[in-house]
Amino acid sequence: MQIGFWPTVRREIRRMGSRRMYLLMTLVVPVSVILFFVGLLDPGLPLKVPTAVVDLDHSPMSRAITRNLNATELVDISQELESYSDAMASIRRGEIYGFFIIPANFERDAVAGKKPTLEYYNNLTYFVPGTLTFKGFKTVAVTTAAGMVKSKLASAGLPSELTDPLLQPMAVQDHPIGNPWMSYSIYLVPSFCFGTVALLIMLMTVFSITMEIKNGTSPDWLMTARGHMAVAVAGKFLPHFIVWSVVGQFLLALMFGWCHFPCGSIWAMVVAMELFIIGCQAMGLLFSSIVPNPRMALILAALCGILSFSFLGFSFPVQSMYGPIAIFSYAFPCRYMFLIYIFSALNAFPLWYSRIYFAALIAFPLVCSLLLWRLKKACLNPVYVP
Amino acid sequence: MFPDMKSTDSTYRRPRRGISGWFDAMARVFRREWSNIFSDLGVMLFFIALPLGYPIIYTLIYNPEVITDMPIAVVDLSRTADSRSLVQSISAAPSVEVYANCSNMAEAKDLFGQNKVFAIVEIPADYARRLGRGEQATVPVYMQMSLLLRYRTLLSTLTDLQLKVAGDVTSTRLATMGASALGLDGGLPVESHNNFIGDPTQGFASFVMPGVLILILQQSMVLGICMLAGTSRERRRRNGGIDPTQIQDVPVSAAIWGKTLCYFVLYIPLAIYVVRWLPEMFSLPHVGNPVDYALFLVPFLLGSAMFGQAMSGLCTERESGFLVVVFTSVVFLFLSGLTWPRYAMNGFWTWLGNLVPATWGVEGFIRINANGSTLGETTHPYLMLWILTAAYFIVSWAVARYSATSHTRRVKSDLNVPA
Repeated sequence: MQIGFWPTVRREIRRMGSRRMYLLMTLVVPVSVILFFVGLLDPGLPLKVPTAVVDLDHSPMSRAITRNLNATELVDISQELESYSDAMASIRRGEIYGFFIIPANFERDAVAGKKPTLEYYNNLTYFVPGTLTFKGFKTVAVTTAAGMVKSKLASAGLPSELTDPLLQPMAVQDHPIGNPWMSYSIYLVPSFCFGTVALLIMLMTVFSITMEIKNGTSPDWLMTARGHMAVAVAGKFLPHFIVWSVVGQFLLALMFGWCHFPCGSIWAMVVAMELFIIGCQAMGLLFSSIVPNPRMALILAALCGILSFSFLGFSFPVQSMYGPIAIFSYAFPCRYMFLIYIFSALNAFPLWYSRIYFAALIAFPLVCSLLLWRLKKACLNPVYVP
Repeated sequence: MFPDMKSTDSTYRRPRRGISGWFDAMARVFRREWSNIFSDLGVMLFFIALPLGYPIIYTLIYNPEVITDMPIAVVDLSRTADSRSLVQSISAAPSVEVYANCSNMAEAKDLFGQNKVFAIVEIPADYARRLGRGEQATVPVYMQMSLLLRYRTLLSTLTDLQLKVAGDVTSTRLATMGASALGLDGGLPVESHNNFIGDPTQGFASFVMPGVLILILQQSMVLGICMLAGTSRERRRRNGGIDPTQIQDVPVSAAIWGKTLCYFVLYIPLAIYVVRWLPEMFSLPHVGNPVDYALFLVPFLLGSAMFGQAMSGLCTERESGFLVVVFTSVVFLFLSGLTWPRYAMNGFWTWLGNLVPATWGVEGFIRINANGSTLGETTHPYLMLWILTAAYFIVSWAVARYSATSHTRRVKSDLNVPA
């Protein structure tokens, strides 16, 4: 029997080939999930939210408002209802995500200067469509009012170059850096794909290590590696690393090549992806060292992997979380990968600003190897705890 | 405690025939499955500890609900009374905090790069002059787009500010122009008022948690079922195709229903805790009528149990099902339409989402829970859950039949697996 680093690698390749699970979980699943997110979020924004208008006025002015509402890209007036309670019932049935009420005598009151109120309702039970309807309704409500002032001023003889600054003396000019389309794809695809890849790497690393212990093959594994735990781990991880690199670079190619996400420095992303994969493997190693039994280690990896989607601050910012919870977000490679994506790719800042994140990714394998002695002990006396 | 465990007579009792025999078989499977669950610590972890503990951790993460005091940098190049009053108004807003007053854009950009501020407000040198001249002053705001929630918070703060400045300045200007006779002195002639329903605080936990709770119920149940099935497959491999802990020679349909009802009964208290108490504990929206969502959850729990048994066909080993199920949680969350609405999905994804009980569970439950819908108003998801229950019963039946007839062949191939 050959021993050393390369025989350990060959042994691992044989193990990977012997079970469909490896092919499924290291290639088929990650690629499908990546394609799922890219395909699902491809439109960027769920425009044309189904909404309703309740026109109680039936005047030329209220009809103009309805037409304006329909003309925005954000909302689609799919229903014209007769009362507030009809509209609420429609919300409860899930047919619409918001509605706009034009009160009775709206035109008469507006012209008479009685300040009628336009009311609109947005169903935030569904956050994204609710927010989009809010934006669409608010724009129309404000521009309607402004348009009336403008025509009044014009009829009083004011030139139009004076009316515009009158209506809006201060204009906020927003510059959403890197994502001027407000595309959900640009912000959700990377974060969720990194998260999924991290989850799968951690799970599969734990699986490949603890199955040795479950099946009692761990002494053989260690023997092939001349009894050195570090060699055994390196030899086991190398073939996995190559497969994950293919998946990771495929993800980057899809994001920056196919989808044309903004990318400041592709090389920073390529390097970060490799370090990220090593970091996740190291986390898997850590979990297996802490509890060298398949069930508990897998649960630990899954719990951390799934929770990391939440506390890594992709959707809700880490800065707003409770301190004792926010601190966990720094314990995962995924957080640094996400920050590198933000700074090097999306914001196109110089690499200097991402230096700490790269250093953190490099620190993961170093820190996680500290418990190797524990794993070695478990590998020498494999005990399976069901 | 469980007589079945001690005496083997119920296992090998001669089966009764007919309908009563079927029910008798089902009851025996129910009792046996119950004791199987409570004698397996790993399964109990999924069935009980997961739905009890996980929602609490999850809600705690999002419990701050809204973004407050987001650090931003201000570059005031105008340095006038007007610009200072603008900066004061900005820092008075609860959602932002002026982290630094920078002297130039380079300094602000550096802070931006260090992740210390998330936006830069640049007040141009001619800000006050333009306001004084009756022209329009523009204020560029540069925002980091890492999170759309931050962008949304900042933008709505700034829009309100813009309207406030307009209200202040316009009335003064009109008065000085002598145009107050037009009746525009008090701002715009039409007022508008928005109302958020379902999640009136616009909180993040209030929006996402009710849906996630439902998903946790389904996924924890599927995980437990897959672990039970994987363990049973391992036992069968060791015992020549027979799992001694399962009741033998009962109709497949009785076995499936016995197990389903067992999981269902086990999940009744858990579901009450998850959908009733948790929203109260964390002040999430809970305006639904308990009768409506209790009835709604019946087909959801049955459907999840059937779905789990259909999925368990994939699990050849105690731990392997786990790998398969965990990543689906993320996919199912998106398919449910909670984050990305279902009307914007293409046909394929909609169709795929239709096959998952949690999709309908989430849709129906959040409408009942946050919008106060009645069961009658959630008929579509409710009926779909019953249809899925029936469909997955047929799939589970086919899976069980297939694995029962082919276990000898499978045992051989499984034994050859080295890992």
